[in-house]
Amino acid sequence: MAAENTKVLYGLYNDEEVLKGAVKTANAAHLDIMDVYTPFPVHGLDPILGLKESRLHYLGFIYGATGALFGFLAMTWIFVSDWPTMYGGKPYWSVPAFIPITFEMTVLFAAWGMTITFYTICGMWPGVKAKTLDNRITDDKFCIAFDVTHASDSSVDQLKGFFQNTRAEEVNVKTI
Amino acid sequence: MNLNTQFVFQNKTKTLLIAGMVLGAVCLGLTFFNDDPYHTRFWTNWLHNSVFFTGIAFMSMFFLSAQITAFAGWNTVVKRVWESMSQFMWVGLILMGVIVLGVWGHFHHLYHWNSTDLNITDPSAPHYDRILAGKKGFLNPIWFTVGTIGFLAIWYFWAKNLRQASVDQDTMETSEFKYYRVQRKWAASFLPLGGFLSTVFLWQSVMSIDSHWYSTMFAWYSMISMWLGALSMTVMLIIYLKSLGYLEYVTQNHLHDIGKFLFGISVFWTYLWFDQFMLIWYANNGEETIYFNERMTHYPVLFWGNLLLNFVTPFLILMRNDTKRKFGTMFFVALIVFFGHWWDYFYMIKPGARISAHEALELAEGKHGDSHSSVAPSAAAKHEDPAPAETPAAETPATEAHGTEAHTAPAHEADHAPASDTTAATEPTDSHPVAAEAATDSGHGDPHAKGGDHHAVDESKAFKLGYTIPGLEEIGILIGFLSLFLFFFFNQLSKSSLVPLKDPYLEESLHHDTGALIEGEDGGHAHH
Repeated sequence: MAAENTKVLYGLYNDEEVLKGAVKTANAAHLDIMDVYTPFPVHGLDPILGLKESRLHYLGFIYGATGALFGFLAMTWIFVSDWPTMYGGKPYWSVPAFIPITFEMTVLFAAWGMTITFYTICGMWPGVKAKTLDNRITDDKFCIAFDVTHASDSSVDQLKGFFQNTRAEEVNVKTI
Repeated sequence: MNLNTQFVFQNKTKTLLIAGMVLGAVCLGLTFFNDDPYHTRFWTNWLHNSVFFTGIAFMSMFFLSAQITAFAGWNTVVKRVWESMSQFMWVGLILMGVIVLGVWGHFHHLYHWNSTDLNITDPSAPHYDRILAGKKGFLNPIWFTVGTIGFLAIWYFWAKNLRQASVDQDTMETSEFKYYRVQRKWAASFLPLGGFLSTVFLWQSVMSIDSHWYSTMFAWYSMISMWLGALSMTVMLIIYLKSLGYLEYVTQNHLHDIGKFLFGISVFWTYLWFDQFMLIWYANNGEETIYFNERMTHYPVLFWGNLLLNFVTPFLILMRNDTKRKFGTMFFVALIVFFGHWWDYFYMIKPGARISAHEALELAEGKHGDSHSSVAPSAAAKHEDPAPAETPAAETPATEAHGTEAHTAPAHEADHAPASDTTAATEPTDSHPVAAEAATDSGHGDPHAKGGDHHAVDESKAFKLGYTIPGLEEIGILIGFLSLFLFFFFNQLSKSSLVPLKDPYLEESLHHDTGALIEGEDGGHAHH
């Protein structure tokens, strides 16, 4: 990602229903919303924003299946061919005894795989500094943000007018 | 939309359900005749369906109680369905009462510990059974009565009062917490009552069929099976009621959440199913492994079908987000899971009762002229291995097995030596660890058949409809009991409004949204 800073114009709302109305207004006016921040998941907001269903779980399935296969085959290799050991008179290839480990490997691979994938997509590497627009959006404020780095003055005015019309509590500009 | 709707139990539906009950009764009659002298097929069918449908009613109550205790709000529009289902425990009381009567009157041989006239608990008697003598403090008719209909009566009392508080709530002027608090008291106190007593109920009514065997996982496992029966029944009933035009406020969001339970609890069931198997397999204790060895060898369709119906199907189909929101798919899965857990109880009950009855009869033949001949003499041996401990033949298979398989620890044999000294004894435990694991063909069982003692062919192991797999009669009986359940359910449902009108959480439930975002789905979100 480019090191260039982003100049953000954002408005804060007090209520999630007002926010949803504002997003609809913005959509109708073809305003390009950068992102919306809310202190909790707002039901019904995703379809208004036009967000698609996450595809992370497809990867989760693949990671899990890989883990299951890896766990089972590793146990098979270890206890059948690499170092055959007899436990309690059981055959070397004791499938029931492998199941718990296979299960654990499935969970481990799926959990780690999905976590790492998610962090990678979001650019959340160790040492990354949090880019928070306003601390109150983690508490009680609902925020709509526009990227105005390359915006003309007239379009910034248009956005400010939009915030005013949709009853935003306050409007700020911040470079992150 | 109009919330204050009442379910109307149509005469046409009534006729249909009564026809179903008649079919069930005819099929029950068919299994009563043309069977062994104990009528084991009839009695196992009765027990199987009674326990299963009573269990569904019980788990509806338990699940509802757990949700009320947890202040759940999403479920309010479905509450009346569960309340009505739970009232079936009243009928269950009668159904299980018949089994209890059978225990006192010795009408059936479902429970081997009940062969009291053979003095199996008397050390000086010829059929002294050391293991059952040790369990007689719990496995006796008095405890059986308390543990089945006694506990059921307690549960029903709670279910009745919880429903009453819910129905009374409708009479309030405005929605407030007055009756909800009453409901919470009944619900919260039901949780320990239901949780602890259901284990005893299941030990007594189902696990004691294999009266020498026990498993500490059993009550969990069979209780979860009931829960899935209740959940899948709920799904089917909701979809059916919606198809009639009722419950229009129950959306795919509610269905989605019940679907998550159906999925999650199915996985939990598998966990318990597997753990019960694996712990016993791992410990390799003969008196425990015989249970699974018998079932895997002679009832493979039941054994593996169980896993296919109850794990593989719901796991693969319900894994996706969107399948839990589609009415058709959910109905299909619920139907399979419902049948699957009926199958699961079939698997728990049928083989054990068949073997037990078979052995009792076999001993009766062996003891011809005995004064106790009216009821079969108790097996001195355990049900899997008729009479080996009394004859020298018992030594043979064990020795053979030890010779061919190097796995058995000698210490194990030594441990059990005293047991085989007492004539009566237990099963020949020594032979099982080997037999159970790898040597089914050279281990126990078959050597007896070849061994030339009085039972040449063990009929209890042969394929037989109604035991090895459910026969047509069993399906008819399932329809019969299902009709009985539905008849009672619809009758209860029609007695009050379909939704608790003054429930403090009604608004939350009406606006319930899982937040799932499914492409190409419309109507799922009320906020458009």
